[in-house]
Amino acid sequence: MVRSVLTVEQSDDVDALASAVDAEESLTATRCTSVQAAREALQDRSFDCVVTEYEFDDGSGLEVVEAIRETDPQTPCVLFTSVKPGEIDTASFEDLIVEYLNKDLPDVYDRLGYVVEDLIEHSTQVGFLKPDDEDERLEALREYDVEELPVEESFDRLTNLVATHFDVAVAFVGLIEEDRENFLACHGADWDSLTREETICTHSMLQEDVMVIEDISADRRFSDNSSLENLGIVSYAGANMTTSDGQVIGQLCLIDYEPREFSPAQREQLQQFAATAMEILELRQTVLDARATEVEG
Amino acid sequence: MSLSTGGQFDFGGVDLPSVDGNTSILLVGDDAGALESVSYRLLAGEEPAALLHTQSSGRAVQRDLNGVQSGAGDNARVLTPEGAATGDDVTVVDDVGDLTSVGMHLSATLDEVQAAGERFRAGIYLGTDVAASVSDTRSMYRFLNSNFLTPIRRNEGLGVCAMDTTTDIGADVDSTLAGMSSSFSARVDVERMGRREVRLDTDDLGAAGQSVTLSL
Repeated sequence: MVRSVLTVEQSDDVDALASAVDAEESLTATRCTSVQAAREALQDRSFDCVVTEYEFDDGSGLEVVEAIRETDPQTPCVLFTSVKPGEIDTASFEDLIVEYLNKDLPDVYDRLGYVVEDLIEHSTQVGFLKPDDEDERLEALREYDVEELPVEESFDRLTNLVATHFDVAVAFVGLIEEDRENFLACHGADWDSLTREETICTHSMLQEDVMVIEDISADRRFSDNSSLENLGIVSYAGANMTTSDGQVIGQLCLIDYEPREFSPAQREQLQQFAATAMEILELRQTVLDARATEVEG
Repeated sequence: MSLSTGGQFDFGGVDLPSVDGNTSILLVGDDAGALESVSYRLLAGEEPAALLHTQSSGRAVQRDLNGVQSGAGDNARVLTPEGAATGDDVTVVDDVGDLTSVGMHLSATLDEVQAAGERFRAGIYLGTDVAASVSDTRSMYRFLNSNFLTPIRRNEGLGVCAMDTTTDIGADVDSTLAGMSSSFSARVDVERMGRREVRLDTDDLGAAGQSVTLSL
């Protein structure tokens, strides 16, 4: 797969920068020579990575980073410049995180392509933490051919039952993919998916026990999350859906539009429901695999 | 003395097993002094070190590292909001919550060390001070991913991040640390046992359920 990289550099140097990116077979560079041109390019299409100089006549490279963070916050960005970090004005950009590369270092143009590939391959600038064995987890998730499994009705019934049992506004089953959480069933709301960076489940999946957030406005992991605010989410409880070999691939979750507490007994019940959801998924997959074997036979 | 042999990082004076490159250790405890001492023990080695220290001047940090292993402090670069900048080794940042600036400084420092062809040890003391200074924890995670865990992975380095559970980080600290633990290679819990003694507990380094006592 060829990845697109927005290279933003002053006109005298843009070819050298773009050539360094293009030197990698898997990368293709788009050239821009001003902040404004970069903004327009970002409006026109998406990019897998941005590499930008700091100094431009019409602004700074951090403005380019800010522009892509607004629309696609998980895209990795490299500030590629001779300007030292201490000389860079960050006063207006305190929450922008970039990889800094000093373009005066020896061989840096030779290393740039590798760095960009690595940034894209490992999603290195996402605003959430991944489990140490994320690759194995995603491999386990790929074992379930969700598109082909007739689980929708089962999960609809389950989330309906769960929402009623706990008297909450929303209950959902979500599978946590590489970049997004996709909801297989959602009682009480019409949600399809959220990015990993936006969803609470990306935190919950890292914990063995049921995770409860009684009021997200009191927790800095979520209080500035406008997506959660726009959905009206106030409280959360999530339990892991864990495969037989211990990989967490999804969550069964409860959402309410007001602060909520959950007792130890309720947390245990939610965990039992999550285990049931996992069993449904595994049984359906087993049946699908058996049918495929019959057809092949 | 801490030596690294066969591509592994050793911890001189600490009875923990050597670790391979690309190992990140989360140090967790409720005693900042104990966390600082253990951080220095793990970061002092023959390799160059880079440390973001949120509370002490660069010179003080280098002095303490030299106290653990002769020359370790002289071979360390320190990023701190305290004290004065000196030479290329100590960089002062205005605000540890300005993660754009702190991240670029850390990224540049580790890249310079790596470009010289050397493996490195990298540390953050205290990660909880960083977390407490940002309004959105996602910025802290982006900083950890981009400017700390990535250079460690990419360059087969060793990373140590200390978290003080008594710091108010604006979120459930146990839940936050449980999440962070699964993203680091190992978690080591640090408990002070006496004025000059701490106990380290870990399930992730070497034998499961390992517990070692360390004299400070």
